Amino acid sequence: MLTILLKSLVIGALAGAAVSAGAARMFHAPEIQAMGAFRTLGELNACKGDPVAHFSFGLGFYFSSAASVVGCGGVTQDVAHRIIPNWAAGLLLLKNKKVEETLYDPAKMLLVGSVVGAVVYSSLTLLASAVPEKLSTIAAGVLTPAANNMVNLVMPILFWLGALDAGKITGIWGTVLGGLTQLIMGNAVPGLVLGIICGKSIEDNGFTKMVKIMIAVIAVLLIVIGQARGFWAKALGVLAGFGL
Amino acid sequence: MKKLHDLLMKENSFPLLTAMLGAAVFAGGCMFLNDGFGLFNDASQTAMLLVGKTEGEWTTPVGYAAGFLIARVLEGPLVGILDIGGSMQTGVGTGMVALCQSLGLTWITGNFIVSLVAGAIIGLVIGTVIIGVRKAMPEGMSASGTDIMMGVGNAAGRYLGPLTIMSAISYSIPCGIGAIIGSVIMHKLDKPIIGGAILGAMIIGAFF
Repeated sequence: MLTILLKSLVIGALAGAAVSAGAARMFHAPEIQAMGAFRTLGELNACKGDPVAHFSFGLGFYFSSAASVVGCGGVTQDVAHRIIPNWAAGLLLLKNKKVEETLYDPAKMLLVGSVVGAVVYSSLTLLASAVPEKLSTIAAGVLTPAANNMVNLVMPILFWLGALDAGKITGIWGTVLGGLTQLIMGNAVPGLVLGIICGKSIEDNGFTKMVKIMIAVIAVLLIVIGQARGFWAKALGVLAGFGL
Repeated sequence: MKKLHDLLMKENSFPLLTAMLGAAVFAGGCMFLNDGFGLFNDASQTAMLLVGKTEGEWTTPVGYAAGFLIARVLEGPLVGILDIGGSMQTGVGTGMVALCQSLGLTWITGNFIVSLVAGAIIGLVIGTVIIGVRKAMPEGMSASGTDIMMGVGNAAGRYLGPLTIMSAISYSIPCGIGAIIGSVIMHKLDKPIIGGAILGAMIIGAFF
């Protein structure tokens, strides 16, 4: 319990400091590089200046994050996208209503954000660690088959259809690379992702230098991974079976 | 305070922020592997790591996350805002953790301090690459097709809800009924049904 608390405080403080300072920098982007998300920027702007709005916006997501961490162990992306930046902004705005001196200030956001992050993240992990053994066994028993189906069936199919719908060239690249990674690695998703990026880049810009580099890297990856997983030896074995 | 402000308002301090976030999300992913909770991501990405944990098969999280990481790192410098969801929380916190596991580097993922350092280094590299791309802005750096990928990736999460209800039903009758009730409540509240499905199964399942 204590080690979990200590680990969580460190992780939460680091994450909170980084995303809050990154969020403050969003108000100065694109002059300086920021990090966060466009929707985070929009949502921060929507509650701008009103600490209560920032708090209640974050609170709604805090409850769903708590449910998620108890159920599956993931704290959701909303912790970094929504809860921490909004609560850090809300705390700062309690003292000073001027957003230019609070929400837009990366140094103040970093300091307050680290505290908010530490509290939010460790409260979520402590809550999850307090779940009785029997309940977490049920959660794992329910979620694991669902996760297997999603990873092995739903995701490859969705990516495959996405590639096919994106046009002839993208569909062909996706099918070839997706099929190859299914053969070599046992899952089509990596190949389909690469096939969509490659195919669409070729469709939009032709065979640029970047596409060629990408294809070369993919080829090397497939050869190396196939070697590591013993695929090439197996494939040669099958060919040898034909008496070639 | 003034010094910190000036430092954080500099373009070049960006890698420091990505290093901090990298350390946090990477260590959070490792905490999920070791303790079963703490991953900085949603249910569908958590499910991918769960498959790796139970079956030892890490291909999907690595491939999925690598796609998001590449796309977001190319997009970040162009628009001036790096999307931390795809790049850090999925790319580093889920993908890099899965990559380390698939390569058998458990001395990284199994040790809290080492995982923090490893995450910080990964984050530092990503931040530096982004600042480098911003300074150089080479021609033809735009990666096409990322919009398709993101769309599909985000749609995939929705499938996990119904899959979880079906899985709860085959786990046991009470869990199945709990999952149905939980999903109905969540749907009524305009929340994704996956949370309700798992919690409902857990709560009703606990009594039987």
